[in-house]
Amino acid sequence: MPGGGGRDLLLEIKGLKTHFFTDEGVVKAVDGADFPIARGKTVCVVGESGCGKSVTARSILQIVDRPGRIVEGRILLHRESEEVVDLAAMAPTGKAIRAIRGKEIAMIFQEPMSSLSPVHTIGNQIVEMIRLHLPMTTEQARDRAAELLERVGIPQAGRRLDSYVFQLSGGMRQRAMIAMALSCRPNLLIADEPTTALDVTTEATILDLIKELQRDLNMTVMFITHDLGVVAEIADDVVVMYLGKVAETAAVDPIFHDPKHPYTRALHQSIPKFGDTQRGALEAIRGMVPHPFARPDGCTFHPRCESFMPGECDRVAPPAVVMESGTTVRCLLYGGSDGSGAVRDDAGGHAGTAGGEAGARAPGKGASGPRAADQGAAG
Amino acid sequence: MASSPPTATRPLLELEQLKMHFPITRGLLHRVVGHVKAVDGVDLTVHSGETLALVGESGCGKTTLGRCVVRIYQPTGGAIRYRDEDGSFADLTVLQGASLRPYRRAVRMIFQDPYASLNPRKTVLQIVGESLRRHDNIGGVELEQRVAELLRRVGLRPEYIRRYPHAFSGGERQRIGVARALALHPRLVIADEAVSALDVSVQAQILNLLQELQAEFDLTYLFVAHDLSVVDYISDRVAVMYVGKLVEVGSRARVFAMPKHPYTEALLSAVPKPDPRLRSAGARVRLSGDVADPANPPTGCYFHPRCRYAQDRCAVEAPPLRELGDGHRVACHFAEELELAGVAGA
Repeated sequence: MPGGGGRDLLLEIKGLKTHFFTDEGVVKAVDGADFPIARGKTVCVVGESGCGKSVTARSILQIVDRPGRIVEGRILLHRESEEVVDLAAMAPTGKAIRAIRGKEIAMIFQEPMSSLSPVHTIGNQIVEMIRLHLPMTTEQARDRAAELLERVGIPQAGRRLDSYVFQLSGGMRQRAMIAMALSCRPNLLIADEPTTALDVTTEATILDLIKELQRDLNMTVMFITHDLGVVAEIADDVVVMYLGKVAETAAVDPIFHDPKHPYTRALHQSIPKFGDTQRGALEAIRGMVPHPFARPDGCTFHPRCESFMPGECDRVAPPAVVMESGTTVRCLLYGGSDGSGAVRDDAGGHAGTAGGEAGARAPGKGASGPRAADQGAAG
Repeated sequence: MASSPPTATRPLLELEQLKMHFPITRGLLHRVVGHVKAVDGVDLTVHSGETLALVGESGCGKTTLGRCVVRIYQPTGGAIRYRDEDGSFADLTVLQGASLRPYRRAVRMIFQDPYASLNPRKTVLQIVGESLRRHDNIGGVELEQRVAELLRRVGLRPEYIRRYPHAFSGGERQRIGVARALALHPRLVIADEAVSALDVSVQAQILNLLQELQAEFDLTYLFVAHDLSVVDYISDRVAVMYVGKLVEVGSRARVFAMPKHPYTEALLSAVPKPDPRLRSAGARVRLSGDVADPANPPTGCYFHPRCRYAQDRCAVEAPPLRELGDGHRVACHFAEELELAGVAGA
């Protein structure tokens, strides 16, 4: 990943831990994530469901739902004025973060209805957003809202201001939500699977739009997705997450042509290649994402890993290794197996149900006996 | 290529001018003011042992077509001819009640959402065993053994037979859905977006499972999907649907490599290619606007308002679905003249 300091960097996530304190136990949704976001770039965060992608994004804006909260780590926002603020230290309901939400950092979601009100017109919602952050009259804000709708490709934008959300199609709703997110010219746009629910044809136009806006407005985009095709299409840098940690970060080309982490490689092998003439069986990653109460010891990917090294991977949590190519990877294949500086995490302390849950969740196909036992032992 | 179209095989299912029009009612007396023509005159043959993928954007009538075949809906027109094992054909649209029961065994469905399609208050034994109990009239230990066997076959542990759906992950639930569909040894399975709600890794597991089961039980799949990379992987033939009508049908290899309908070209072009080096390669086709309203479709070719090759004729004259040779059928006036881009290597 390019850059390291100063003005090239927009956001730095350092040792972020966001945990959910449920009655059954603590779910460590994000458990020590580190990655930078370079200014003006598109960073894609990928991984299976339950890997902490969305919670990381929500942590940045301090909109983690209860009973979750940030328990450790820093989220440093580098402003153009060289000022650096720690978003993780802000109170979730405080003035400081509210001034940033929607203004400096905006977010769009998979389901537009979750961020748009069904009982207010599109225009009113955008006007409210603009007036909250910028000193404008209602008329000025309305003109700006119409401009925004036009900018995101909604036909007859002036008339659409008075539409309600239910009167728009899925793609149009997504565009309206993007218009609202852009209304205060954010430095960072966080997009949480914004195209997953859309048809490929609509997805393609929305991706084009985001690319275009990013270029024209020099905006930084953090794009969460599980679709590697989308990543190939829009990413500059890629962050691969697994079980609340970052497995690998690299520029987009090495992620596809020289992936280092076994998890990144496994993700590649499990997708059908479009236009591929060989059609043997897909190599599915064996097993599945472990239950949140039963996180494996050592490297959390080891029960599913092809390159599993007994006695090492199940014991030592891999430290981040920076490769010459600029890739950062957390895998003992690339060093750190001597245990120096590595900490054994997730050791004990789980609720008593964990072992049973692991049994119930153990996949029929991949997990053989000893592995299931491993998981049980972790609990 | 590993999967060439099984042209020599016999048809298992023939749809002839199949129509499913839903009435739009208004007012106190539910006066019928129009019809949503979700499926509007589809002619399609499904061959024994093949995987036929039905693709198109949402709102194109794919799911409705699948539901007509399993007779969740009673079609409003046309015929669904099903070939029995003895070679005789039966029209499923006219059968009712008891005479439909043999086909309820032979034609089963796998649903999209593994969370919504399993009753949360029933155990796996009840869910998978229900059809066995009703159709084969078995119970007790025998039923348990049959269900346990099915679970083993789809890769679940038989010990889980008394668990409820909430104890399973999404991929495991989809396996339960597959076991339920297979319980009665069907011949035709309609998979309605069976993998689209799953994570990539789990999706790969289910796709592999479906292929194993197809080989083992000689199944025929009608695979309703919108993800074209999955379709590319699993199907032998592809049928492309737009606003209730078929616009292109042919072998997967032909349709993907040499699409003849502009809509197919646009769908193929929209699929993100999983290689950043291809980012700027090839011409991109982007569809503007949305799928036409099936209650009020445009005149002529339904696709003409979004088609970049549209000419005057397209707005007035509806193109019929016609044969171009080799089983490749297309509904476009200019199929021969257009040079459309396909997917390299398909």
